[in-house]
Amino acid sequence: MVDVKLENIVKTFGETVALKGIDLHIKAGELFTLLGPSGCGKSTTLRIIAGLDFPDSGTIYFGDEEVTYLPSSKRGAVLVFQNYALWPHMTVFDNVAYGLKLKKLSKDEIRKKVEWALELVKLKGFEDRYPTQLSGGQQQRVAIARALVVEPKVLLLDEPLSNLDAKLRLEMRSEIRRIQRELGITVIYVTHDQEEAMAISDRIAVMNVGTVEQVGTPKEIYESPRTEFVASFMGKTNVIPARVVERNGDRVSVEFEGIRLDGLHYTDKSDDVVIVIRPERIQLKPVENAVSFTGTVDLIEYYGFFIEVVGLFGDTRIIARTISDREVAGLRPLQEVTFYVERDDIIILPRQQL
Amino acid sequence: MKVSKWSENLFGTPIFDPVVTASFMFPLLYLVAFLIIPVLTMLAVAFEYNGHFSFHWFTSILTSNYYISKPTGEFYRLITMPNGEQIYYVQGVDFGVIINSLLVSISVMILTTILGTVFAFVMARYDFPGKNIVRILLFVPLLVTPFVNVFIVKKMFLPNGLINWLFFDILHIFPHRIVIDGLVGVIIAQTMTYYPIVYLNAYASFINIDPTLEEQAENLGSSSFHLFRTVTFPLALPGIAAGATLVGIFSLEDLAAPIVFQGNALARKLMSFQIYSAFTSGFNVGSPQLAALALIMLTIAILMFLGIRKYVSLRQYAMLSKGGRWKPRVAKPKGWQAILIYLVVLPMLLISIFPQVGVVLLAFSESWSGTWPQGFTTAHIQSIITQPDIERVIMNSVMYSTAAIIVILLLSLTASYASSRFKKSKLGPVLDSLSTIPIAVPGIVIAMSYFFFFAKVFPDTPLDPTNLLGFNPAMILVLAYSIRRLPFAARSISAGIQQVHVSLEEAALNLGAGRWKALTGILMPLILLNLLGGAMLSFVYCMSETSVGITLGSINPEYYPITARMVELMTSAVGSANLAAALGVFLMTVQIIAIVLANVITKQRYSFIGLT
Repeated sequence: MVDVKLENIVKTFGETVALKGIDLHIKAGELFTLLGPSGCGKSTTLRIIAGLDFPDSGTIYFGDEEVTYLPSSKRGAVLVFQNYALWPHMTVFDNVAYGLKLKKLSKDEIRKKVEWALELVKLKGFEDRYPTQLSGGQQQRVAIARALVVEPKVLLLDEPLSNLDAKLRLEMRSEIRRIQRELGITVIYVTHDQEEAMAISDRIAVMNVGTVEQVGTPKEIYESPRTEFVASFMGKTNVIPARVVERNGDRVSVEFEGIRLDGLHYTDKSDDVVIVIRPERIQLKPVENAVSFTGTVDLIEYYGFFIEVVGLFGDTRIIARTISDREVAGLRPLQEVTFYVERDDIIILPRQQL
Repeated sequence: MKVSKWSENLFGTPIFDPVVTASFMFPLLYLVAFLIIPVLTMLAVAFEYNGHFSFHWFTSILTSNYYISKPTGEFYRLITMPNGEQIYYVQGVDFGVIINSLLVSISVMILTTILGTVFAFVMARYDFPGKNIVRILLFVPLLVTPFVNVFIVKKMFLPNGLINWLFFDILHIFPHRIVIDGLVGVIIAQTMTYYPIVYLNAYASFINIDPTLEEQAENLGSSSFHLFRTVTFPLALPGIAAGATLVGIFSLEDLAAPIVFQGNALARKLMSFQIYSAFTSGFNVGSPQLAALALIMLTIAILMFLGIRKYVSLRQYAMLSKGGRWKPRVAKPKGWQAILIYLVVLPMLLISIFPQVGVVLLAFSESWSGTWPQGFTTAHIQSIITQPDIERVIMNSVMYSTAAIIVILLLSLTASYASSRFKKSKLGPVLDSLSTIPIAVPGIVIAMSYFFFFAKVFPDTPLDPTNLLGFNPAMILVLAYSIRRLPFAARSISAGIQQVHVSLEEAALNLGAGRWKALTGILMPLILLNLLGGAMLSFVYCMSETSVGITLGSINPEYYPITARMVELMTSAVGSANLAAALGVFLMTVQIIAIVLANVITKQRYSFIGLT
C-alpha cells in the first residue's frame, strides 16, 4: 500500500497530445477515481501508472520510489482490464494463480492464497471452471481476484463496471468498495459515469482533454465545481451564459436575457461568465435570501420520483426539479412561472472554451 | 532506466526487449538473406555486359521479335483429318514471349472472374435442391495435382475427348469438333485450375456484405440485376479483384500448362517456359539474357500486385459495415434463375471438376485413348509403395516439407507477432511488405535467382547448382518453400493473433510475466489452432510445390521431390502418365486428409488455395 504521485506527465500519440502535464497525488489507502468523458486521457493515465505505456516526460512515484520507466512486470501496479482479459485457455484457478506462479511460490502457498482471493470475491468452488462458463459478473470477480492475489501496491480498475447490466453494476460497485475497505488498499478507478464515481470514491479527479480540471471529494466536486466543465459534467445542470454588470467587492451583479441577479459571490476577473444552478436547488415558491426570475413554462416532464419544470426565459431554458406533485399542480405550458434560488446555491464561473 | 527512442522507433516498444527484437529481426534478416539478396544477385547479372553496367540484355529482349512482335499466325484453323472430317484447331496468335504471357494472364483473369463470380453468387445467394452436393463438388477443383490435371484438360479437348463427345456427338452444338492447343490450351487449363481462387474470394465477399445494404436498395425500389449491378457487385469487387489479380500472377508463373502443351510451339513461347526450358536443357541457365527476362517477369508480377494492393486499400467497403455476423440473404431461385442454375451453372461446374476426376480415372486405368479410359487396374497405385524411385521421391518431399513447415511457422509467427502487436514500429511496415511480397515473386524467378546466388556464394559446395551431381537441393528447396509459402501462412496466423485481444498479454505482463512467457504461455496456446491449421496447409503446399521443385529440384535424381518426378513422367514415354496420375491421387489424398483435419481441428472452414 503506497501513495502514487504523478508529476507533469505528458504523453503524445503521433500528433495528438493525450496528456498535457498531469499532476496528481493519490494517497495511500484511498479509492481515487479518474472521471471524464471518453478521450479525456483517463485510461491513458491509468496505463501509464500500470507501466503498459510510458510518458514522453514527467515522473511517477510509488511512495519514494521512482517508477516512471519501470516495466509493467516489475511495478506491482496491477490492472483489472475493462474486458477482464481472462485467459480463456486457463481455469479460474490457473488464472488467479498466474501471478503467484511467476513469483515462484510453493504449491501449498499458491493454493492457500488463491483460496483466500476467491473467497474474498465470493467465488469459492469455481476453481475448475473456465472463464467462458462464467457470467459477466463472475468473470469480473475472477479478474479482481487475479489482481488482488499478488498483493499489489496499487490496484487499477479500468471502467470495471461498463460491461455489466444495470443491476449487477450496483452490486459490483458496493462489492468493490467493500473489498477496498477490507484490505485498505490504494485503488485508482477509471470511469466516465459521474454517478458511479460519486458513489464509490474517496476523491475524484475530473479530467478533460488531457488535463485535470479539479480534484476533490465527491461532495466538493458536485457542490463546488471550480470550472464550467466540471459543473456541466457532474449531472444535469443549468449552465447559463451571462455577463457581470456590476462588482461590489466579492459580490457581483450578473445579467442574462435581460434578467438581473444581484449579490452573488464571484471573484474572478473575467466578466464573461456562466451561472451554474443545480435543478434541485430551484424552488417554485418564494424563499429567503433568494433571487427570482420570471418566464413561461415550456415543458413539464414527469419522471416518477421527481418532476422537472422547464422554464423559458427569453431564449434560455432553465430546468427546475421538484419531488412535490403539489408544487406543480397548477402549472401548464405557456403559463407564467417564477423560479426562486437561494444566493448560496448559485455558482458563478468564468466562461470556458469547451 | 529511461525509454529508448530508437527501440520505440524500430521495434515499437520504448523499453528494449530481446524477444520483440528477435521477432522483428529473424524474419527480416531471413527475407533479406534468402529473397532480397538472391534477387539482387540476379539483378547484378542482368545489368552487366562486358564487365560494365548496361541495359544491353534488356534492350536485346525488348527489341527482339521473339519476345515482342506483331501478331502472327491464325487464331484457329479448319483442319481436314485423315478420315476426311474437318475439325477446328484453336491455338491462338503469337505476339512474342512477353506479350503472350501478358495476354494469357489477362485472359485467364477475365475467364476465372466470370466463372468464379457466377459460382460464388449462386452459392451465396440461392438455396436450391442439391446445394450441399454442389458445395462439396466445389472443393474438388481446389485439389492440386500438378501437370496431370492439365493433361486431362488436354485430353478433354481432343477430337474424341469429353468435350467433343458431349457437344458434337451428343448435343450437336459444335459445328465441327474443336481441338484446343497452344496458348488457348494454356488459357483453358489455367482457367480450370485457378477459378476456385476467384470463387473463394468472391464467395467470402458476397457473404460479408451486410444484408441491410441490399435490403435498403430493394426498399428504395431496386431489384434483380439492377441491385446486383449497383450494390452487390461494387461492394464485392475489391475481394473479387484481389482474387483475380492473384490468379493473374499465378498464370504468369505457371509451368504446368505450358509443359503439358509444349508439343505446340506456341505454348512454349511464354516467359515462364522460356526460363524453365533453360534449366532442363542444362546449358544456358546462367545466361544474363534469361536473368533479364526473369526480372521483366518479376516486374510485371510486382506491378500487378502493387496495383491491386493500392486499389483494395482504397476501397475497403467490407470493413465499413458494423462487423458482427448476420444471416446472409438467401433466396429460392425463380423461373429463369432456376433454369440458368440447373442448365448452365451446374453443367459448367461438372466440367470444371472433370480434370480431378480424370486424374483418378487415369490412375486406375490401363489405357486411355478414347473418350473414356479402358481397363481397371491398381498397378499404378501399387507402384507408389513398390517402386523404389517413387518411394524415394515421396520420402524426399516429406522431409523437405516437414523441415519447411518448421521454418514457415517460426517465420510467420514472429513476423505476424511483430507487425500486429508493435504497430508503432517503423520496421513494421517494412516487415509487412517484405513478408507479403513473395506472393508477387514467381517461383521460377526464385529458382533462377537462387541459381545465381548459390553458385556465386557457395561455389563447389553441395549448395552449388552448377556442381551437378555433387549438388544437394534439400536446403535450397526448404528455403524456397518457406519464402513462397510465408505470405499465406503469415496471413492465417495474423488473423489468429488479431482475434486475441492484446489485453490478454498485457494482463500477463502486468502480473509480472516477461515477453517470452506472455508469448509462449498466453498467445501461442490461444492461437494453437491457427498454428496447426497453418502447418497442415503449408505441408500440403510444399508437397506439391512446382516451380522450384522441377528446376533446382530436378538436377540430381537422388534428391527429386515428387513434382520433379511427375514432370519427368509426364514428358517421357507413353503410359507413364498413369504413374504420374497415381502420384496425383496420392497428393490429393494428402490434401483431403490435411483439409479435413484442419477443418475439424480449427472448426473453421479452411480451404486450400490451389497454387504450386
